[in-house]
Amino acid sequence: MDIDKLKKGCFYALICYMVLAVTFYLVAGEQLRFKYSQTDTITPAQPVGEIVQGVEVRQPFVAQADELLSLSLRISTYGRDNSCHLQLAIVNDMDEILACTEISGQYVIDNTINNAIFAEPVQLKQGENYSLVISSPDGAPGNALTVWFGNTVTTARLEIAKQIAPERQLLLNGQPLDGELHCQMNLGTYLWYGDFYWFFAGGLGILLAAYCLYLLRAVKNGRISIVLRLIAAFQRYDYLLRQLIARDFKTKYKRSILGVFWSFLNPLLTMSVQYVVFSTLFKSDIPNFALYLLIGIVCFNFFSEAVGMALTSIVGNAALITKVYVPKYIYPVSRVLSSTVNLLLSLIPLFAVMLFTGAAVRPALLLLPFGLFCLLVFSLGVGMFLATTMVFFRDTQFLWGVVSMLWMYITPIFYPESIIPDSIMPLYKCNPLYHIVRFIRIIMMDGVSPEPKAYCLCLLVSFIPLLLGAFIFKKQQDKFVLNL
Amino acid sequence: MIKADKVSVKYLMTYDRVKSIKEYLVQLVKGKIQYEEFWALKNISFEVKRGEVLGIIGHNGAGKSTLLKVISGILKPTSGSVKVNGVVVPMLELGSGFDFDLTGRENIFLNGSILGYSEKFLKEKYDEIVEFSELGQFIDVPLRNYSSGMVMRLAFSIATMVQPDILIVDEILAVGDADFKEKSKKRMLELMGGGTTVLFVSHSLEQIREMCDKVIWLDHGQMKMIGDTQEVCDAYAGGME
Repeated sequence: MDIDKLKKGCFYALICYMVLAVTFYLVAGEQLRFKYSQTDTITPAQPVGEIVQGVEVRQPFVAQADELLSLSLRISTYGRDNSCHLQLAIVNDMDEILACTEISGQYVIDNTINNAIFAEPVQLKQGENYSLVISSPDGAPGNALTVWFGNTVTTARLEIAKQIAPERQLLLNGQPLDGELHCQMNLGTYLWYGDFYWFFAGGLGILLAAYCLYLLRAVKNGRISIVLRLIAAFQRYDYLLRQLIARDFKTKYKRSILGVFWSFLNPLLTMSVQYVVFSTLFKSDIPNFALYLLIGIVCFNFFSEAVGMALTSIVGNAALITKVYVPKYIYPVSRVLSSTVNLLLSLIPLFAVMLFTGAAVRPALLLLPFGLFCLLVFSLGVGMFLATTMVFFRDTQFLWGVVSMLWMYITPIFYPESIIPDSIMPLYKCNPLYHIVRFIRIIMMDGVSPEPKAYCLCLLVSFIPLLLGAFIFKKQQDKFVLNL
Repeated sequence: MIKADKVSVKYLMTYDRVKSIKEYLVQLVKGKIQYEEFWALKNISFEVKRGEVLGIIGHNGAGKSTLLKVISGILKPTSGSVKVNGVVVPMLELGSGFDFDLTGRENIFLNGSILGYSEKFLKEKYDEIVEFSELGQFIDVPLRNYSSGMVMRLAFSIATMVQPDILIVDEILAVGDADFKEKSKKRMLELMGGGTTVLFVSHSLEQIREMCDKVIWLDHGQMKMIGDTQEVCDAYAGGME
């Protein structure tokens, strides 16, 4: 191998790494050091009564996070205009007031959720007891607001009674009521990895640099390592790979009138049909359901197309495999990559729907390639495994038809994951597609970076299948010729 | 250049090729999966030096094609080893990598890349390939509209536009009409005489005698004879009578 080229390559690899590390910090840095969460709310059943001067509504709670940013609670005005104020205070168990905010009666619309933001986030200590105290400095009978409480929670279509410990019950002037305040807390938690990001990124950079030096030395001494062999193989078969991808892509729509437009139309049409079906038949409460659905469809279509094509890649190219020596992995890889071209095209309608439905376009979109890469790696792994089995058992292709349909239903594509019962959730999460689709949805719909755990999970669930698939493929590939 | 050391290839033959899981299980339960061992090659050892032309002769089913497949890397030997230094270009069957929905031009690049040619090389030789194939304006027409003679001409032109280290020839290919046959035969002989290492399989003893430096006679997977062209050919011809 050419040493100057390798030097150049190493240099570019390091530069790329640095750019990536910095970009990642700019895009996802906030999510690395801080996690936002919301508490669950109780279903509002009845109001506590007029909160006039002297009335005190007290809701004890245990801090689950480090910061309290704001409160959302349902307020009623008795259908009249009130000029009074509501005072919301957070007190600790010594009854010292930590923070205070006010809601003005004249802006409150009857029976709506109102947001009360603290000027400074309230610093809490996890696990300690606090109370939210609601009172009114100027409320009077006929000029007062009220808040709601209840003792059930809503899950899908059912109301389930919530067990509330006596010390967590809502207190009205010191008297316990049967229930909890209807109130959602927006919380923030500090994450430790945020502080170590630069150490971590720097350490990895140093490792990379050290490996580059090692490679250079290895080349000087004429030794060949795995990475070098991979690079050499890539250089050698790069042209063939491009030709095969171009072939697949050209012949796919060759004799259709709309041609490549089908790559845009297909996901859009599928989405329209499913959107109509699922938004009218099954009332779904997912915000921006169209985008939610389309992300799922695009991801799953790619997966099933890539695997389906890789599946027949060995058997379909039997004429070549028995006549010309080409590394056999080229065939599944080229099929998966040509599906990737399709995937990239179907991102165009996805972005269009994103803009059309008013989803926020945020820098977090830069993380999308990571999600797509994991999807590609996972599909390749499954594809290689099935291509191997296909050689020995031709039933695989028919089985795959059924399995891919089943797979579609166990992946949250058109339904929210909240309808899955908690008891089978651990099993449900074994589905690699679940993690990858979830990752992409967080990026595109919430406009933020997922938590660091999601990155690790995505990498794990995509690379383990690839390693397994590639291992089985490699073990069996010498027997392919005999079985074609 | 090529060194084969005790190469053996064993095929397992079942009477009914089991092709589905169900069949497999049924057969397994019945205990009926029987394989018959079949040695396509047994203990073949030889060496070919750079620039040598090695002829391989033998009856049908003697293992000639299997030997070529082992050398070109398609088939792994069951035991023994083959060492090959250099790029092997097989000329086993013409046009197996063609896609009939693509045009002639696209197929030149596709088929060329499958045979292991580089992009630069193909771009350089493109005009030469088109000219040799005599396709003219048809080069931008999808292959499905070609006559079978045109397909063979294109395939031949691509396959012979090479400068390989090792060329594998399974019979001298002569395709197309009389004129093109003459031309293609000339081209093959040029290629084989051009100083590259050639492995040449043929049933025509005449061609073998004319081209080869050394000949292997295979018979039922065994190497019956190896050595000087005329000697082996004489023995082979004698055995046939």
